[in-house]
Amino acid sequence: MSLGREQAGQVQQRPAKNTSKAMMAYLERATKHEEFMRKQVHEFEIGKRHLANMMGEDPEHFTQEDVDRAIEYLFPTGIFDKKARPKMRHPTEVFPQQKAAQFDATGRPFHTLFYTLKPNFYMTLYELVEKMNQLDRLQAKNDALGKLPDITQKLSLLGSEWLDIEELGKMLVETLKEPQYQEFVRAMNRLVEHPLAYHHKDFIFKYRKMLRVSNETDTVPELLFDSAGRPYMEATGYRKRAVARAVVHGRGSGRVTVNGLPLVHYCHRDGGRSGNQDVAQYDGPTQRYHGKRRRGHRKRTSFVPEPWKRPHPVQAPSSQAGAVRHAVSLALRSFVDKEMQETMRLAGLLTRDVRERERYKPGKKGSRKGRTWKKR
Amino acid sequence: MSLYRSAVRLLPACLRVTSRRALVTSSARTKDHDLHLPTPAGPLGTWATLKPRPEKYVDTEADIDPSVTDPLRHPDYFGVRELFTMSDLFDARVHLGHREGSLNPYMAEFLLGSRLGHCVFDLERTAQLLRDALNFTAHIAYRGGIIMFVCRSPQHVHMVERTAMECGEFSHCRHWPPGVFTDSTALFGGVTRLPDLLVLLNTLDTVLEQHGAVKHAAKMLIPTVGVVDSNCDPRLVTYPVPGNDDSTTAVRLYCKLFSEAIRRGKAEREKSAVV
Repeated sequence: MSLGREQAGQVQQRPAKNTSKAMMAYLERATKHEEFMRKQVHEFEIGKRHLANMMGEDPEHFTQEDVDRAIEYLFPTGIFDKKARPKMRHPTEVFPQQKAAQFDATGRPFHTLFYTLKPNFYMTLYELVEKMNQLDRLQAKNDALGKLPDITQKLSLLGSEWLDIEELGKMLVETLKEPQYQEFVRAMNRLVEHPLAYHHKDFIFKYRKMLRVSNETDTVPELLFDSAGRPYMEATGYRKRAVARAVVHGRGSGRVTVNGLPLVHYCHRDGGRSGNQDVAQYDGPTQRYHGKRRRGHRKRTSFVPEPWKRPHPVQAPSSQAGAVRHAVSLALRSFVDKEMQETMRLAGLLTRDVRERERYKPGKKGSRKGRTWKKR
Repeated sequence: MSLYRSAVRLLPACLRVTSRRALVTSSARTKDHDLHLPTPAGPLGTWATLKPRPEKYVDTEADIDPSVTDPLRHPDYFGVRELFTMSDLFDARVHLGHREGSLNPYMAEFLLGSRLGHCVFDLERTAQLLRDALNFTAHIAYRGGIIMFVCRSPQHVHMVERTAMECGEFSHCRHWPPGVFTDSTALFGGVTRLPDLLVLLNTLDTVLEQHGAVKHAAKMLIPTVGVVDSNCDPRLVTYPVPGNDDSTTAVRLYCKLFSEAIRRGKAEREKSAVV
């Protein structure tokens, strides 16, 4: 991209006063930034040593985890949002990365797309089109030979999603606008749809982030076995102030009881029942609540229904039904394979619904409703 | 080439060029008074046209004095006249313009006329102007100038960007923010060296309005080389090249020619090691 001549060392021979205004301005900015970062790093190191002394630990071996713990201890906070809590990080993590010099001493930029203001982003789009054209040519060649695309290598995008606009901007060190990001996503989807897209798997996955599959601390418990050798699982579920304890038996009869009563009698409102019926769809009737069994073959479903299916739109499932649903889903995890567990997690069946009743506030009738307003 | 000639012969009498000199293959410079173009009632004759440019064109067949060694004094230092022939232009469909209805009045002087409503460019005039443009581009490259390719036609963006990359220059084939030249310090975050030449493969934007770069380059005194089709305005372009800007064959030819001119300029620069 830059002239071979310039790189051959003639830059150094050029006297300083012939350096372009652009380069001088950049050098000024770069030195200022470097100075600023040096000061920040120095302050951070000193601060870390102070913290270590305060905590009574060895300043030489004070790691970032120790810093986080110390801050949490010294600055207790009830702020809900984790990002709003006080923290102390290395300046390189805190201050945004700046681009290195983008032009040489004569002011000639290095990147061919420099004048577009977003060279890295538009270079990505250029490479994308280049790869599309490559795949089209390859396909034409294969068609002539009668070769079909390899189905075994077909790209699976399950469990990952495109980087969002901020993450992509951070990766490219450029702030992107929404229309540009949409253009990028549309173009990448087109590339992915190509039957031969697997040839460029690395390129595609560079712009995809893997979704967190499961919480590390959340290990699915092993099945327990009763005296007869049948597998069973117990779990506790919660919703608002309701607590439900579910016992699910494998190779069961398919009957469901709640507190000794059949399900239909206990959940007199449709909503509660339907919430639990959704759970049943997941792996067929192997369940039993508190004693009854249900026979049936294992059924695998891949579709994810809406969590709150209501045959009648007015009724909402009671908190007890929600707790039961949570409990049963947690118990069923042990019976089911990893893929189904993931599907259940994505459906929201395994998440404890944290919504609680909002507190009453003085001056209001309840949590939100105000007193009657009189004009005079 | 014969098709071109027969097409020209079939033009209706009112639009046919009456001077026989204009139809001759050798590079006769067409002066304004040679083209006795009538002004029929209709799109081709009702407004004032620009006066033709001053006579500084190079005669292709004229002998070049070998004693002239100063690049700027030499009529064709980089030999751009060898890069193409009128036949190449015809094969690449450079002579095909848009319909009469969208004809810009300032482009009328570059046309031979129209055939069944479609404008036809005078390839002799185009050839001269293209040689000028290529010569200028080569000189800019020779002096180490920054050359930027511009094209907003979606089907050619990739080709133009690749051309710019291959000859070591720059391109801007995306949305044009208004302040790129006029407010460059704010947009680029510091003092920035602007391009020394703009090569526009299409002077129109995606919405068929003139590309902002034409006006802004003129404001910043940056010379422009632009392929102007029959619906474009050539007035602000320093070196207009009247010709087709929509056919892929034509754009491919322009890319090839401009990149070759740039390469020749840079090769000469390496050889002579001029500051």
